[in-house]
Amino acid sequence: MAISESNVRPDLTKRTLNARVALFRRMGAGYIMIAPFLILFLVFAVWPIINSLYLSFTDFNGVKSGEFIGTKNYERMWGDERFIKALTNTASYVVLIVSLNTICGLALAMALRAPTALNQICRALFFLPAVTSTVAVTVLWRTIFTSADYGLANTILHFFGIKTIVFFSSPEWSIPILVIISLWGGMGGTMIIFLAGLQSISGDMTEAAAIDGATSVQRFWYIILPLLKPTTIYIVITGLIGAFQVFDMVYLIYSTVGNIGGPLDSALTIVPYLYDRGFTRFQLGYASSIAWVLFGIIFIMTMINLRLGRENK
Amino acid sequence: MVGSNRSPWLKYGIRVPVFLLAMTMLLPYYWMVLGSFKTVPELVKVPPSFFITDPTLNNFYDPLGNKPPNHILGLFQRLTDAPFGFLTFFLNSLFVTITITVLSLLIASLAAYVLAKVQLPGREIIFIVVVASMMVPWQVLFIPNFLTIKDLGWINTYQGLIIPALPKAFAVFFLRQYMKSLPDEMLEAARIDGASEFRIFGQIVLPLIIPALSAMTIFTVLGEWNNFVWPLIVVQDAEHGTLPLALSRLNSTIFSGPGTQGVLMAASLLASIPTVIMFLAFQKQFVEGIALTGQKG
Repeated sequence: MAISESNVRPDLTKRTLNARVALFRRMGAGYIMIAPFLILFLVFAVWPIINSLYLSFTDFNGVKSGEFIGTKNYERMWGDERFIKALTNTASYVVLIVSLNTICGLALAMALRAPTALNQICRALFFLPAVTSTVAVTVLWRTIFTSADYGLANTILHFFGIKTIVFFSSPEWSIPILVIISLWGGMGGTMIIFLAGLQSISGDMTEAAAIDGATSVQRFWYIILPLLKPTTIYIVITGLIGAFQVFDMVYLIYSTVGNIGGPLDSALTIVPYLYDRGFTRFQLGYASSIAWVLFGIIFIMTMINLRLGRENK
Repeated sequence: MVGSNRSPWLKYGIRVPVFLLAMTMLLPYYWMVLGSFKTVPELVKVPPSFFITDPTLNNFYDPLGNKPPNHILGLFQRLTDAPFGFLTFFLNSLFVTITITVLSLLIASLAAYVLAKVQLPGREIIFIVVVASMMVPWQVLFIPNFLTIKDLGWINTYQGLIIPALPKAFAVFFLRQYMKSLPDEMLEAARIDGASEFRIFGQIVLPLIIPALSAMTIFTVLGEWNNFVWPLIVVQDAEHGTLPLALSRLNSTIFSGPGTQGVLMAASLLASIPTVIMFLAFQKQFVEGIALTGQKG
């Protein structure tokens, strides 16, 4: 008992002991600091992932606990006409909005890149819809596109001699309306990210090219665009991920008319369909499996993003 | 030679359509403000007026009450199942947004500090799980979270609205990356001086991460103020409803009524004003925040 004490210098034991105590105290403080986040994170982010995966293999309907039915939900999806319809509608919406949003955002950034006072005002105007709630924006556009003769869209059409269009009952207009609303709401944000990308391109290169006689089109195509590639990839991928998740607009426009999918399901997209299955019909098991298919799509997008991002570094 | 490819035509030729487009961007806003202050007869006039002839506050509150065809109930006279009508929804949004923003960023910065600067067994695993969870969309989480809230008996409560929104993985990830860049020597010096971790966090780290925190604050406020899906699922009564729910209710109940556009526009206007003011006041922080986080609200 006394042996160890005599072997070591007493002040050294004390010092290591103090260091130990300090270390434990620091670790204790660390656990206390991370605990609030960690507990909530486990309950509301980790557990639901596990639970959702389990639910997707059951026929849970909210009332009695679901039976395990294997991959039936996933098999059922490919025979579900409405799901396929939702998938194809979402695909055409996504392709349209992502390409238009990227092109318009880039065009705006190019046009407004000089930091003049007028350009600053224009930038703020284009960004304004991004800070307005989607719900308010959708209600606003609903009154604009109303079929009543006092609606703004139809008034403009009448001015050009075009007859009244009943926008919300015409299947061919369903996707274009969603694209118009989200383009109006989204291109300002895209412009800001492109402007940040443009800022990192040094003016020397484009000036040198200009002195060598490159036209502005050539300078854009051969110098600016290749240098903006990482920004463009980022915008396209995050745009794809966001567009696949469209919900608010579709719900607000069409659920009030009776069918969340709009006329002939022409506006039916994945998330509103998931909501319809889960919270209107309470097929929570089936809805969960749709959510996991959506996750699969988003996961693939993210992986492409990471791969392309690494290649461009 | 140089001047030849900078012809004024090309220079201004691109600008003119952009400025026209900027004006078109404003048109819906103009329409919203205009509609909020039009009288009912002016709202249903064909063709509609583009300049207001007889501005009124009747869409907000009509002292004459419901007397068709020229007078209908104003915004603050509707949604009567809530204690203070529309105001209830507005105050709920304010309360829920501020609470979520303050609490979620507090717990996120505490967690980020530990993940960035405190040697702790298991912190690498925690960080990996947090980053991985960012890939999972809310659609996967919202069904099981709804079931949790139901089991806890938190449907139609403030805690049902607030607590599931508190753990924000992106905020932890972003703040942790930001704190990584703070020099370790500074913190070690404070530790040798005997400062506790809480003191180091509060007095040294917190003041240094203000740029990152303000960016996160802006996006959290914006996201929560405009959040629609979660309140839609966990709140069915009027007492705990937030602004997007008020708009959604009006949208589904009175949209097709004659002259009700004015009330809808008034509601949209009031719901948009706070975030628009926030944007105009913190424009610089907004733009820097987008560049910093790559998020766009």
